[in-house]
Amino acid sequence: METAFISRLRPLLDAIAETMDVYTPREVGEHYVYSRYHGSNSPDPQWNDVRTCTPAKDFLFPPREMASAFPQPVGPVAVKPFAVFGLKACDLRSMEILDRVFREDEFEDSFYAARRQAMFTIASDCSCPGDSCFCNVLGGKPYPESGFDLCVSSVVDGYLVEGGSPRGKNFLFSHAKMFGDVPDALLNERAQHREGVLQRLAQAHADLPLDVPPKNVVEQRYRSEIFDEEARTCVECQACTRVCPTCHCFYLYDTKQKDYFAKMKMWDSCMRVGYAQVAGGANPRKILGDRLRHRLMHKFVWFFDRYGVEMCVGCGRCIDAETGGIDIRRVLRRLNDELSDTDRTTVKATT
Amino acid sequence: MTGNLYQPINAAVVDIIEESPTIKSFVIAPETAFGFATGQFVELTLPGEGEAPFTPSSSPAVTEQMEITIMKAGRVTALLHECDKGQPLGIRGPYGTGYPVDEFAGKHVYIVGGGVGLAPIRSLFLTLVDRIGDFKSVVCRFGARTPEDFIYKSTLFGAWQKLDGVDIKLTVDKANDDWDGPVGVVTKILSRKDIDIKNAVAVVCGPPVMMKYATVSLLDFGFSPAQVYLSMEKNMSCGVGKCGHCMLGKYYVCKEGPVFTFEQIAKYPSLWD
Repeated sequence: METAFISRLRPLLDAIAETMDVYTPREVGEHYVYSRYHGSNSPDPQWNDVRTCTPAKDFLFPPREMASAFPQPVGPVAVKPFAVFGLKACDLRSMEILDRVFREDEFEDSFYAARRQAMFTIASDCSCPGDSCFCNVLGGKPYPESGFDLCVSSVVDGYLVEGGSPRGKNFLFSHAKMFGDVPDALLNERAQHREGVLQRLAQAHADLPLDVPPKNVVEQRYRSEIFDEEARTCVECQACTRVCPTCHCFYLYDTKQKDYFAKMKMWDSCMRVGYAQVAGGANPRKILGDRLRHRLMHKFVWFFDRYGVEMCVGCGRCIDAETGGIDIRRVLRRLNDELSDTDRTTVKATT
Repeated sequence: MTGNLYQPINAAVVDIIEESPTIKSFVIAPETAFGFATGQFVELTLPGEGEAPFTPSSSPAVTEQMEITIMKAGRVTALLHECDKGQPLGIRGPYGTGYPVDEFAGKHVYIVGGGVGLAPIRSLFLTLVDRIGDFKSVVCRFGARTPEDFIYKSTLFGAWQKLDGVDIKLTVDKANDDWDGPVGVVTKILSRKDIDIKNAVAVVCGPPVMMKYATVSLLDFGFSPAQVYLSMEKNMSCGVGKCGHCMLGKYYVCKEGPVFTFEQIAKYPSLWD
């Protein structure tokens, strides 16, 4: 069974919760955040029409964890299987990006790998992308096509559930009694919904057509003053990098516990002034504009050069979180326009 | 479950050598043999206090002990300077790629060093001297602020100077009464006539400003950017290309470095900051 029908989310999540901890989105203010789903003790699970506020990396790479201990060494603790419902296509892409960093053959981060292995991903379609969503500009789609165990789509009177991995397909097979058949009409409805949302996203970003791939835009305008101009309103809150699902910088620091020493691994941010400073005091990025430049260069150029993919999925979380009003879409558009102007001037000058 | 990337091997300080007023060498014995290639670095943990990257200054041929020369430069290094023999430490690594010594074979090796930059160079020097016949010559041009600031004084002023195939010249920014050598920055004692540049490589390690001007001089002499090997100082933290602190353009200094040719990194701005 590839795709099945179920009329309510609760029985689906209850069945999953029999063998693992389940996390579901919950609406808080204007956003969704994740909370533990406790079956019959929890209110009806909510359908998130857009990605959550907090990034999926929270589940794989927590803000702080113990990385090692002294004198008795530690390894990653056994991770109980857990399921996360409501991950969007951008979340799945962000995890694939993190995989490239943390699951490198030679240098696998065993803490990350253990959690990734234990995670059961229940993705879902975006039924109403947010104002800040721009996944389509970065080649993404508002519905998952791969990288999930199960994918849930909202249709009239219920939900379609698609198995994407052997684990997901096995689940559908072993719980076949819960599900109904899927007539073609429902598959067509899903396809129409998806196309509709895709078009809405395209319309919303009609003013953001990059003339060349983002890598080229950022790389060729590397020395642009736009970075300094945009950084003027930055208050260095670092929220952009904390909520980013692909930002993965961390620092290691040592602590004294009662009867042992621990090395902790904690999220860091390249927007922090001391981030790249060395003990002698040298700091290649003392200026805020240089740090913004570095962040975009890392995301669109250097990560791409290394791994063949941009380190941005267009989820727009950084735009929502921005205290200083820096909109990464505006920065890209301005760099793009500047590049086009430069190109035109160059052409004029040579003709 | 794979091994834990962030778990150091337990080690202990077995000896401490005072090199200069601000620099000490620590002889460290890891619990298990710890191999490295010259130029690779390690992450040294002072338990409960912090961790910092250092390139061992000893020969890679010795694996049961290693020497790490440390300048008092920040919080962790200041605390390390207060340590006594027997101090427990943690050590992770080795990381990075180090010096491609085999590629130096058949060539002159022109080594320019300054200050505590002589630490990685000592390890390279000992490696080269072990197989000195493989190289046309090993020419060293080292500088320090004052004669007291030179590290490895006993060998630098003595045994190393007498080795066959080795040519060492030293300079100081400021002389004292005992100094009868050249006075001035290290670039003052570099000369295009020192070696046959077409058949040579240059290795530079020292404070950023010294590296910058030494590189300019070497290029001016006719070295190509691919012939100049630089040891880049960044704040390598995880050592395994993840935490992001040591990024130099697309490179992680901890993985592709800390030794780079100037050709690899010339295009990146703020290179010397």
